[in-house]
Amino acid sequence: MFRRARRTHESGPAPEALRLVKVSKTFGAEESAVTALDGVTLSLARGSFTAVMGPSGSGKSTLLQCAAGLDRPDSGIVMVDGAEMTGGGEAELTKFRRSRIGFVFQQYNLLPTLTVAQNTVLPLRLARRRVDRGRVREILTAVGLGDRLGHLPDQLSGGQRQRVAIARALVTEPRVIFADEPTGALDTRSARDVLRLLQEAVRVHGRTVVMVTHDPVAASYADSVVFLADGRLAGELHAPTVDAVAERLAHLGDDALMGV
Amino acid sequence: MLALALRSMRKRPGRFAATLLSAFLGAAIIMTFNSMHDTAGQPGVDSVSAESLSTAASVVGGYGTLLVFFAVASTLTVNVRQRSAEIELLRCSGATPAQIKRMVVGESVAVALVGAVLAIGPAMLGGRALLHIFQDSGQVQRSVDYSFGPIALLSGIDITVLAAAGAAFMAVRRATRRRQPRGGARKFFAYAALAVGVAAVCSTFAFSARDAALMAPPVYGAILLSVGFALLSPRLLKGLLDRLPLSGPSGYLAVRNMRRRTDELSGVLMPLILFTCMATATLSMQAVENDAIDASGVPKSIDAKNLETLNLVVVGIIVVFSCIMLINSLYAATTYRGREFGQQRLAGATPGQVLAMVGAEGVILTVTGVFFGTLAGLAGILPFTLVRTDGTWPGQGLGIWLTIVAVAAAVTLGTSLITARRALRTPAVAAVTLAA
Repeated sequence: MFRRARRTHESGPAPEALRLVKVSKTFGAEESAVTALDGVTLSLARGSFTAVMGPSGSGKSTLLQCAAGLDRPDSGIVMVDGAEMTGGGEAELTKFRRSRIGFVFQQYNLLPTLTVAQNTVLPLRLARRRVDRGRVREILTAVGLGDRLGHLPDQLSGGQRQRVAIARALVTEPRVIFADEPTGALDTRSARDVLRLLQEAVRVHGRTVVMVTHDPVAASYADSVVFLADGRLAGELHAPTVDAVAERLAHLGDDALMGV
Repeated sequence: MLALALRSMRKRPGRFAATLLSAFLGAAIIMTFNSMHDTAGQPGVDSVSAESLSTAASVVGGYGTLLVFFAVASTLTVNVRQRSAEIELLRCSGATPAQIKRMVVGESVAVALVGAVLAIGPAMLGGRALLHIFQDSGQVQRSVDYSFGPIALLSGIDITVLAAAGAAFMAVRRATRRRQPRGGARKFFAYAALAVGVAAVCSTFAFSARDAALMAPPVYGAILLSVGFALLSPRLLKGLLDRLPLSGPSGYLAVRNMRRRTDELSGVLMPLILFTCMATATLSMQAVENDAIDASGVPKSIDAKNLETLNLVVVGIIVVFSCIMLINSLYAATTYRGREFGQQRLAGATPGQVLAMVGAEGVILTVTGVFFGTLAGLAGILPFTLVRTDGTWPGQGLGIWLTIVAVAAAVTLGTSLITARRALRTPAVAAVTLAA
């Protein structure tokens, strides 16, 4: 179902963790159709931390969902870790995602009936992979929750829940971690902790992180920022600072008006 | 507030389908049987016919009222719970708890009224058919004409509307109040039901084999025992789940989900236990009774025939209502979990794994419900068989029981799997954000 792309190294990981080629997505019927993504081509290197920014309705959430295999683009190619995501049913896509992709959402999406430790190992159990308890404890200790293994999600603060979600995203050792507004529901201190953990995932564990956000402060933790406007790429910023991001974001609309 | 109630009904008629259906069926049953009172009350009806008719009307009328109340209450509880967001919004917009109460009660009264009016036609046909059954079996004279009069009409509408209003009042009171632990009262009622049930079952031995009322104490005892078991079921289920050696991701999730949701599951177990118990007990006892009468060589008396007809009708009614309650509560419980399914899918569960989990939960529920229902049923059947015949075990119980178990399993698994399948059609990301 999933074609392996040609590789220079037969068994090594692909140099590009994520690659989108002319990805388009339209919502709605003919007359009221809205183009959420308009031929986006994007390539992210392994071990990079990229923020995707843009005004509301710019298509950044759609981009994330198409790239992560949660939604199917109308046209274009999505490749994760050198493997192309093709059609197939949801089960097929789920199996594709399991080993390659981890998620962190604004609303945490922890299962309320499972404890912190059970939530963390859930992706492994679902994939029928071996659960290494020592490793799980290690990961949860690394996110600062080593003493909360038996707690239920509603006994935790928002920041703690998000850290469980990060631990869960790390446990399967995925190539790419997608984070959709991971700090959107957090106070500034918890947000900082979460962003540092995402940075660590890239620097220490060698993961690739793609984070959708509307917050210039959050974006400044990334290595680079990709701007999106009206479903198209609208520039990139390397080694971003808060002010530079905010400045760029404020003038995104101007560029579109001038017809650049 | 009533205007708001009517508007909210016009916009979302589908939501009231379950309430309407139970009100309709309840009203139809009550009117059908109460029209026997009207028929018996006509001038020129002989006393034997009149007595047969009145007995049927009184017995089933009583059951019917109770069942309408339970069924409407179950559908309304679900309805109110599904609309908790809307109710919260109304509260934030300045509606007082009394206004919300009036709205929900007003809605359900209107639905019940519609259901009762719709039931008039079918009840007339049903009453006519019922009279024919009585006439064919010789319980009622051929010359008696059918009459659908004021007793049927008024009792049908009144009982249905009152039951709906009461059920709505209780449902909304539970919803608008902040949740509070209610362990004590529940435990008390559970043990009280079990104690009275055991006493009723034991009192069977005080009757002689020939008593006409011999069947009453074990049946009532069995009902009370099943209510007691249903109230205790969360704790019993927890005990079972701790010992369950289920492996595989779906079984793992099923057990962990159910362990945390045992309180909600008792709403599903109640109709399941009641259904198994009532159907098993009544049908087996009737089979024993028939065998005993055949063995005695005496042709069936009118009383015996009346009893048989009534038993079968009562079982039929209970089966239909338990099924409605079971389907409704399972449907609601499963629809409610769309978000949870979405979260599982985002964590890497395939739709097949989610369905397997729902299926495993359904099997555990069915086994628990059937087990306690059977236990309660047997508690009624065994004393009855002991007193009525020389043996302990009813002769043809197994076939009846297997059919009942098959129906219970089909309804439980069918409803939850079909509902879950529909819930899985929503994309995982949308399912997670919809209910948030």
